[in-house]
Amino acid sequence: MLVLSRRPEQSVRLGDDIVITVLGIDGDRVKLGIRAPRELVVLRQELFQELHDANSDAASTASASTEMVAAVLRASVKNSAENSAEIAVAKA
Amino acid sequence: MTVMEAPSLSLADIDAASVISFPDGLVGCGDWKHFVLLTSDEEDLPVGVLQCIDEPAVRFMVTDPRYIDPSYSASISFEDRQALGLSPDTKPLIYCTLTVGNDGAITANLLGPLAINVNTRQAKQLVLNDNTYSARHPVGQVG
Repeated sequence: MLVLSRRPEQSVRLGDDIVITVLGIDGDRVKLGIRAPRELVVLRQELFQELHDANSDAASTASASTEMVAAVLRASVKNSAENSAEIAVAKA
Repeated sequence: MTVMEAPSLSLADIDAASVISFPDGLVGCGDWKHFVLLTSDEEDLPVGVLQCIDEPAVRFMVTDPRYIDPSYSASISFEDRQALGLSPDTKPLIYCTLTVGNDGAITANLLGPLAINVNTRQAKQLVLNDNTYSARHPVGQVG
């Protein structure tokens, strides 16, 4: 891992398009400003990890019966009294 | 290819015209780019299966998140709309994935829903980065 020391208001540039600036330090929190192309996805690592883990777990459990899961969903919809939505996954 | 256990859904449904493309893959799973949606022909189930073509062992159970939370709404950024090729007045199809744990607990990923442009079949996993929704929202229990 490349390690750099930066002071507030100093920046690091990644390639041509990405600039990360230390905006301030408050106790154990560092505030970063990130300038990057809009199409670049910037996520906190915890959020990325959470979604990666959720995707991995979801990918390997669809061998469970869709009918049984559907029955649970139908029951929960029936329980929410105000919802009378037609229950079907629209064909994409 | 793994054999699907749900008898009412058929892998024969796969054809090139119905491929849904996630150009960036899914979050943290960038290799999963091409899927087909398998739905039951016999009855209208609220659950479908997204079968990954790139990785045959990967399949997601999906549903419309509004079955889980009637007030569910996914805000889509301008960049995401562009990535999906959505015209200003077009709404994408929104699905969420379902996970069934070893203990039978069903959870829904409401944090990272899947947005699909029905016309172009371009898709993207959104990240609703506002602390409203969970990646493991409890739905119920099987068995």
